Amino acid sequence: MRLMVFSDVHANLEALRAVLRDAKKRQVNRSIFLGDLVGYGPYPNECVELMRSLKNCRCLAGNHDVAALWETSPYGMSSSAKKAILWTMDQLSDDNKKYLESLPDRLDIADMTFVHANPYNPRGWRYVLDKKYALRSFAATRCRTLFIGHSHRPLLITKKYFFSIDLRAISGSVKIEMKDNKRRIVNCGSVGQPRDRDPRSCYLIYDSRTQMLEFYRVSYGLEKTARAIKAADLPVSLGRRLLKGT
Amino acid sequence: MFDAMTKSEVILREAEAIRSYVKEELRPKMYALHGKDTLIIEAMSTTYISTRIMARFAETMPHYVYRRVSLNPHNPKNLADPFEEEMFEWFEEDSERLFWQGIVKKNGDSFFVSMLPDYFTPACIRCHGAADTAPKELIERYGTEGGFRFEAGDLAGINSVSIPVSDSLREAWQGSLVLFAITLFGSLVLLWLLTQVFQRLVIERLGVMLSLVNEKKKESGASAGPGDELDMLTASLGSLNSYVQSARKGSSLQPNFIGDYVVEKPIASGAMSWLYDGHSVGSDAKISLKIGFDEVLQNPLYKACLETELHLFETLSHPCLPEVKERVEDVLILSEIRGSSLVTLCSEKPLGGRQLLTMFSQLCDLTATLHSTGIVHHDLRPQILMLDDEQRLSLIDMGLAVSDQQPDPIVAAGLGPQGDLLYLAPEQIQGRRGDPRSDIYGIGILLYLTTTGRLPFTEKKKSSIQKWLQRKEQMVNPRIYRPGLSAALEQVILKALSYDLGNRYQWVEDLWDDLKKCE
Repeated sequence: MRLMVFSDVHANLEALRAVLRDAKKRQVNRSIFLGDLVGYGPYPNECVELMRSLKNCRCLAGNHDVAALWETSPYGMSSSAKKAILWTMDQLSDDNKKYLESLPDRLDIADMTFVHANPYNPRGWRYVLDKKYALRSFAATRCRTLFIGHSHRPLLITKKYFFSIDLRAISGSVKIEMKDNKRRIVNCGSVGQPRDRDPRSCYLIYDSRTQMLEFYRVSYGLEKTARAIKAADLPVSLGRRLLKGT
Repeated sequence: MFDAMTKSEVILREAEAIRSYVKEELRPKMYALHGKDTLIIEAMSTTYISTRIMARFAETMPHYVYRRVSLNPHNPKNLADPFEEEMFEWFEEDSERLFWQGIVKKNGDSFFVSMLPDYFTPACIRCHGAADTAPKELIERYGTEGGFRFEAGDLAGINSVSIPVSDSLREAWQGSLVLFAITLFGSLVLLWLLTQVFQRLVIERLGVMLSLVNEKKKESGASAGPGDELDMLTASLGSLNSYVQSARKGSSLQPNFIGDYVVEKPIASGAMSWLYDGHSVGSDAKISLKIGFDEVLQNPLYKACLETELHLFETLSHPCLPEVKERVEDVLILSEIRGSSLVTLCSEKPLGGRQLLTMFSQLCDLTATLHSTGIVHHDLRPQILMLDDEQRLSLIDMGLAVSDQQPDPIVAAGLGPQGDLLYLAPEQIQGRRGDPRSDIYGIGILLYLTTTGRLPFTEKKKSSIQKWLQRKEQMVNPRIYRPGLSAALEQVILKALSYDLGNRYQWVEDLWDDLKKCE
């Protein structure tokens, strides 16, 4: 079974299309989207509609999706993020808002847990980037593998012993073997706004037959999205971020 | 009757007292006066004296009959009749039986009889032992035919008193009849009075009230149709009337029409509902109807499950799911379901090769579709999977299915394992729901059944949960039932039926990948 895991599209339609095109070539059976479908980007409705049309795809809620519904306040976010959310609120159709409302926070399927930020407090939106929060996340699920997004940086955290972990930042398209049965937290990076200084979209495919994690980076029409951000009167800094990958 | 019982016992005890007086006082005195060899029957024989005294008693009280009988008497008059012979046997069976009372029918009359057994003492043996040593007065009077060859301790005879009770029984019976007739008559009168009172106080007044209401309605020109409580009452009475009439005719209470559809025979039963054949009234187009069980519709918890099932059928689309044409209240009108269930097919012969793969490719695809939308079926079993002549598979029931986007009513209510234990995965038997790997176990059971023609477990429904878990853990290898099974297929079945969730296939797609290589 080939499972595609991707996250943080942030209304970047160009990036989403490019990633789905790429994944189609790689014979994916199912896909799981880890949240943040809207926010920052200029195509919230289009992205929601495209996601809704996908077959065999599950979606989770991210902090920007929830903020766009006023379920959490956007005023705690950075100023550009806040502006983008307030703009998104106006743009989203009622139907799409209803869809975003229906998204779950966490999924446990077979021996895998899927969540946007962390499993111990999914709506707290804390990043899992160090040992303390990694151990706390391991303790919050009985499943062997935990897939997260939210930080926009592809990362692999492997539990070595009781209180010892190994953090590995993933760069470029790589394949990683997971046959050793160790517990892992896998951050799949971001489709619509990568922040690891590589502007290409990032997603991953987990192959349960070979037990391989395949990270892929996909180029897309960055400039087109940046122009659309400007045209939508969203902060221009958001377009610049995309070009730099930060 | 009680009187007769007491009287007969008193007389019997009196006769017994006479006998013991003769035995213990009169006879020793006679021996003392006239010598040991003397026998004056009139003063020394207990039987003679007691019989004679009671005969005089009977002259004044002709209804009281005293008898002293023996199976082998000196005097043939004292020979036991057939009933008394039976009583001899009864007393001889147990030496602790010292008294008997009961009603005996003789020559068409009933008698109340009391009986006492009498046993020989050593003193009696002089006259009842050997005939050679018996007193000659005795031999002269009765001869040597009867009354001898006894030993001390033998049952000598039975003393009985009979009192006729036919008349008193008849009187008692007549008294009861009169009492019954009076009570019956009294009850009928009371019932009639109550009916009259009810008629006057309730029915007539209600009738007047109804006619007044109807007149008022006519005057005000109220529209037809359900309006106030009286209309509802009329409608309820009407439906009750038709219900009673159909029940009296013995017809089934199942509705014959639902919406524009005619309900025919049932095809299958699911977890929460029946599936019926049917057709459209206008076009004769064949359809199937999914109708909830009565008990499900009446129970809010199970009705929530049925609602989930109906919702899933309405929202999901897959070639293996029947198309929903319409929903009429709680009934789903589905496209016609053809073919026969896997149970029927597997009982004919095990499936093999192409047929097996064609079927399981559809089943795996369907299950993967369900799982990828967050639905776990929980109840994959051969009874609800239909295969038609073109090898198209249909899943006709999702009564226990649950979606991870909605709360599970069965878990919320804390119910135990739901479904047929034969097909349930071990974790389901332990009460866990919502894990897609439980369905993979279900597919494993179906694979086992279709390849070997039988289930891995025998049906023992009364077993405890622990016994079932043990049985699931120690499953019989499919190769034992079908030696020709390929090693690859055997491995797929065993992995799908793994007791431990971690060792089982984690994804249906993986199971199918392995299965298609088994060709």
